[in-house]
Amino acid sequence: MSKITKSSTAEYFAKNLQQVGFSSPLKAVLTTLKEAVDNSLDACEQHEILPDLDIEVIKVGTGSTKNTDLIKIVVEDNGPGIEVEDLAKVFGEYLASSKFGKGQCSRGQQGIGISAATTWAQMTNARGVQVISKTKNMKKAISAQVDVDIKTNTGIVKNKEMIDWKNKTNGVRVEFLMDGRIQLNGDGGLLTYIEGTALLNPHVAMRYKLADDGWKKTDRVSTVSPEIPEATLPHPHTFKLGEFITHSTLYGKTSLSKFLKTGFSRIADSSINDFIKAGMPKSLVEKPVSSLSDEEFKKVFQAVQATELMAPSTRSVLTVGEESLSKSINRLGKVDFFSVMTRKPTICDFKPVVVEVALARFIDRGDEQSPVQLLRFANRVPLQFDKSGCAITWAIESVNWKSYGLGQPKDSLPFGPYVFAVSVVSPFIKFKNASKETIDASEELVEEIRRALMQAGQKLSRHIKSEMKEADLERKLAHIEQFGPILVEKLVLLAGANDARKKKAEEGLRKILGRDSEEAVSQLEEAQSKLAAQNKKEAKKAGLPDEDVVAEENEKAAKSKKTDKKKKK
Amino acid sequence: MALIKIRELRLDIPKEAKHLAERMLKDLENSKRPYLEAVKTSLDNAEYNSKVGYLTPGDKVVRTELNVSSVQKLARVLFILEILLRNLEIGAVNTKRELYYMCKGTIKKGDSKYKALDFESQDESDSIIDFIGDMLEVYREELNCYANDRGGQTYSQQLVVTETLPDGDKANVDLSTLGTSPFQPKNRPQSLKLKAKKKIDFCLVVESEGTAGTLQSMGFTKRNNCILMGAQGVPSNGVRGWCKLIEDQLDVPMYFFGDLDAYTMQNIFRTLKAGSAASLIRNSDFSAPNVRFLGVLPTDVKKYDLECYKVKESDPAEARALKKAKDALENDPFFKDKKNKNLSDVLRWLIKEKIRCEQQSYFSVDPRDPIKTEKIILEKIRKGDYL
Repeated sequence: MSKITKSSTAEYFAKNLQQVGFSSPLKAVLTTLKEAVDNSLDACEQHEILPDLDIEVIKVGTGSTKNTDLIKIVVEDNGPGIEVEDLAKVFGEYLASSKFGKGQCSRGQQGIGISAATTWAQMTNARGVQVISKTKNMKKAISAQVDVDIKTNTGIVKNKEMIDWKNKTNGVRVEFLMDGRIQLNGDGGLLTYIEGTALLNPHVAMRYKLADDGWKKTDRVSTVSPEIPEATLPHPHTFKLGEFITHSTLYGKTSLSKFLKTGFSRIADSSINDFIKAGMPKSLVEKPVSSLSDEEFKKVFQAVQATELMAPSTRSVLTVGEESLSKSINRLGKVDFFSVMTRKPTICDFKPVVVEVALARFIDRGDEQSPVQLLRFANRVPLQFDKSGCAITWAIESVNWKSYGLGQPKDSLPFGPYVFAVSVVSPFIKFKNASKETIDASEELVEEIRRALMQAGQKLSRHIKSEMKEADLERKLAHIEQFGPILVEKLVLLAGANDARKKKAEEGLRKILGRDSEEAVSQLEEAQSKLAAQNKKEAKKAGLPDEDVVAEENEKAAKSKKTDKKKKK
Repeated sequence: MALIKIRELRLDIPKEAKHLAERMLKDLENSKRPYLEAVKTSLDNAEYNSKVGYLTPGDKVVRTELNVSSVQKLARVLFILEILLRNLEIGAVNTKRELYYMCKGTIKKGDSKYKALDFESQDESDSIIDFIGDMLEVYREELNCYANDRGGQTYSQQLVVTETLPDGDKANVDLSTLGTSPFQPKNRPQSLKLKAKKKIDFCLVVESEGTAGTLQSMGFTKRNNCILMGAQGVPSNGVRGWCKLIEDQLDVPMYFFGDLDAYTMQNIFRTLKAGSAASLIRNSDFSAPNVRFLGVLPTDVKKYDLECYKVKESDPAEARALKKAKDALENDPFFKDKKNKNLSDVLRWLIKEKIRCEQQSYFSVDPRDPIKTEKIILEKIRKGDYL
């Protein structure tokens, strides 16, 4: 028999980096940037700091592996900073996380990402990550290189030195040098990532330099740091037996009843009695969980699953909110019109979930003949690969967008110069893979996303319908001008009539078609007033001071658009 | 040059057009909405009476009243009507495609205001031409608009056709003298007089032109006193009019021999026997109500152990044909008529069995006998094995 060896977590990941987002040079760059930004934003939020990020992704040479470039990725934040003793853990050790299984809607969850980035840099450029960190308590900043010791899954801090770091009081700067390739646009592009991050994080200000482009910045549109909801305990109905037993080991010699009540949400004293009724042996109630046999665990577990429990609380989810989304969407480009929808938090598959949707039509991006640009988010992190299997994509494709005025091939994304941003936030998002690229499509979740999309679609359709009526009116008016004279001319010719009759017929025609165009005008006005009512409602929701001003502006915009079109003609 | 009339038309087209324009103009002068009405040419306005034998129009009309949406169509109708009337006046004939280009040319060279009328594709001008025909209740040929000749190649040793030409000359065509060439009926009105040199026993219309050719090559018309014709798929107006002429002028039984599938039964045989819904106003001159369905019959499949295909419902075309067959049983007055129960039973059989059997499968019965198919056909005629 061959010898069985045991490998460290780091060894496993070093060999399987493709599982965590390092399957190609392009993805390696994006994933590294993403992990560094996620960490910065999570840290800032936890300390209620409004994040200012400086991001730089540039090519600095040729990569060591074939067909790659040497890429420098720098992310600098104004977060709380990392203590010297934590540097090795954060950047050089897998599964060392402050967030793992905590039941919070943080971006990072497992503590894999940034260590994987360090590993990739180390494997392709023989150096880990260069970190500068300063907390408020530190007099000087610390600069060091952190590597992963793959054999033991521990971080190694090298070349440690104290430095003066501009005038910064606190923050972290990470710098990776690694093999990779830069792609700016498209689904997996860096710019798409930056835009997505800006959209869902209205409180973030970013300065960025990507590839050969100069420095650009996007200012924050909200000065409120999102309030991170309290962590929530897991709901017992989301567990499998194995997880249930593992979870109990955290509770040592605690009695079974106490373990159930404190280890899970929605279990009260009365629930214990219900479990007993459902077949949980009464003798086990006060027994320490550590002494329970697997067989006994199974009985308890089955009874818990068989008992109806209250759905978990939805207080643990956070939303960006329609107001902030409305402001944030303008950061992506020149918006023609948009519609946002924040659903009430709900329960899908026994997990609290909230879905937010922003649909916007842009003047300066996309075109009528291409599918809409889809931006997917899970816990406010853009998902950029493998969209076909994602719950969000499924939900969009299941909606009949034609009824809202958009073109859509069967079972596909709709068409047009739109951005469809869909965000799913939950403390327990189920991903299809460890690189967190696709949300698992459960029926309940797809249905919830679908509802949000349909509500947003209805709002959007008011804009589109008003436009269509406007176009309809223009078409009708043009028709009268174009075809009326031909009709009369041919009738006069065929009937052999004289000029006097021609004139009379022309007058008659004007009267008839005038009545029709009046009707079309009133239809347009009706559609516009419906839209104005919606805009008013939205302005009120967003807390804008004077609703009438907004409505008036809309009217003005509609009018100026009309005159623009006329001028063009 | 005077053209030969297809029928005695009581209507004077230019006069009718003038009358129509006069009525519309008057409406306009009175600020009333002028309108055009045409017979609704669709299955829901088709009636069938087995005594009449073909599909006739019901009472439904398509009314196009002037409004901002229809003003374009009305202007286009009048625009094309003017071109057609000019053609009638000078005796010029055209195909629909040619008319499409004439419209485009008139628009290009005419007043700039005509630009708005321009036709993007031929469908647009075709539908207006059809509308004008339905509106005046005249055939397109009566508007001097002819279709390409297709199908109807005919062989016979007994048939003599006398054609009166526009200038009054007469041309005699004895089909037995044409060698291996067939007689080709025109897809346009011809003044033809038919005569049989010797008693003709039957007329056989074969769906496949190729199979008709094979039968002819193997001496079918030499051995039998008959008329043999290839339909070339869905029968064109030429084929339908030609069959009608044979029925009217020669007292011979006519048989159709084609595939056993829903498409042949509905689109080919029904159109030959009773006309189509799209040509409701012309079915009286363009259908042969006495034609019988000789095969392939469902009973032949077993009797001759014929090769069949399974109808694949995954194939969109075949699935559509099956669906259409189901619709036909519910909505087509021809198949709903009791007199045609034996034909609708074939459709039901096809829907149930989900198989199709081609006319050429007769060649599988005895591959070594080159005239086996002829023998089967004759046997079926003799035994009255047809529907």
